[in-house]
Amino acid sequence: MISLLASASDPMSHLVDKGLHQWNILGRPVMLSMVTMLVTAIVLVVLLRFAARSIATGPESMGNKRFVTRSAFGGVIEVMVLYLRDEMLGPVMGARLTRKYLPFLLSMFFFILALNIIGLIPFVEVQEFISWRRGEQFNLAENTTLAIFGGAATASISVTGGMAVISFVLIQVQGFRELGVKGWLEHLCGGHDLVGGSPLLYPVALLVFVVEFFGLFVKPAALAIRLFANMVAGHTLLIVFTSFGALAANAGLGWFGVSAITVVSAVGSMLITLLEVFVALLQAFVFMFLTAVFISLMAHEDHGQDEAHGEDAAHAHGAPAH
Amino acid sequence: MMLASANPLEFNLLPFITTMVVFGTVAAALGFFVWPKILKGLDDRNAKILGEIAAAEAARTAAAAKQKEFEQKLQEAMEESSRMIREAKAEAVRMGEELRVRSEAELAERARRAQDEIESARRTAVAELESHAATLAVSIASRILKREISASDQKRMVEESLAGMQGKSS
Repeated sequence: MISLLASASDPMSHLVDKGLHQWNILGRPVMLSMVTMLVTAIVLVVLLRFAARSIATGPESMGNKRFVTRSAFGGVIEVMVLYLRDEMLGPVMGARLTRKYLPFLLSMFFFILALNIIGLIPFVEVQEFISWRRGEQFNLAENTTLAIFGGAATASISVTGGMAVISFVLIQVQGFRELGVKGWLEHLCGGHDLVGGSPLLYPVALLVFVVEFFGLFVKPAALAIRLFANMVAGHTLLIVFTSFGALAANAGLGWFGVSAITVVSAVGSMLITLLEVFVALLQAFVFMFLTAVFISLMAHEDHGQDEAHGEDAAHAHGAPAH
Repeated sequence: MMLASANPLEFNLLPFITTMVVFGTVAAALGFFVWPKILKGLDDRNAKILGEIAAAEAARTAAAAKQKEFEQKLQEAMEESSRMIREAKAEAVRMGEELRVRSEAELAERARRAQDEIESARRTAVAELESHAATLAVSIASRILKREISASDQKRMVEESLAGMQGKSS
């Protein structure tokens, strides 16, 4: 409640990652996003392990039914995995790279998706409301909270930045392993045709090198900023909608005006929440898919028809800009 | 209540490192406990479906070959039965014709034999009649002439009588 009232005057205060009240590691406050990530990770592993058991082939005694997924949740995960593997990653990366990086990319997708979805559930608000009812909300330091779990971890640039660094490392490791140091440098200079061509092209190669070198860092940075910005924007919109009632009350409107505005803002919030569920899915997909595209760009260019088809698909899909 | 304006772009090292550690752990756990099971399950199912399709395709091909073989055998059987019917009909016609020819020949033989028997009987009857008539005539003549007639006379007289009878009959 106090959070909501606060957000009415400053929506960003609700969004930013807060320190837990009196929780510290090495003198630094433990942030809400850290606990949220940890809890989400545990829940995610447990849920996916349950899904894996229901998807895995059963014992012989089950007959042909051993090949059937044995839970609705497992069915949902299976559909998502099949779609990502066969329709998205396969055409972009080719069979070999897909087989190699699929576990990592799926982990990335589901981890970000879980964080995004958890961020939509008002755990923090519920905890703060309970604290407010108990009269515990006072004497808090600035940017700290009594909640111990919840909030949109992916609305923190520190979190999305961490994910982007992992993507960056993976992309470069793939580049070095596939191309070697010489090939990697050639790739940065525009490829063998440019480097091994006429000396007149060397300035062009140098220019390409500068652009590509910065591109190495810009690509993952763009990943981090895109995810962070989308989450912040969505949650800001949601907070603004839900705050209309509080703003009306602060403005001194009568009970009828406040009630009417609250109803309108509640309906609007529900619609925005539905949109946010879609954005949560889309952004998890975009982060994972672009990482896959960057990995595949670091692969050899002459890797067969399958891979060529993958590049075509990558160009066809383009870089989703949401 | 007015709080100081918060900055969402503020970078914090602890969540940054925590993200990498937690995600690394999650990726390792999922990569070890979850994805191999799920992907193997999907691959098993895929292999099962492909195997079933291949088996169905093989069964369909085998069934088509069997059907073709059956149809060929049926065609051969039909041709064989038609040929047998044709041959049976021809045999029946031949046997009928043979029977008819044999019956006709037998009938002709019987007719000829009957005619021969009739002719033989006629000749026997005529000879007996001649003998009887001659004896009777001699007896009558001897009675009339009251004398004995020799054998040569008797023969001559019979021949004359027969000649006379033949001349009357013609």
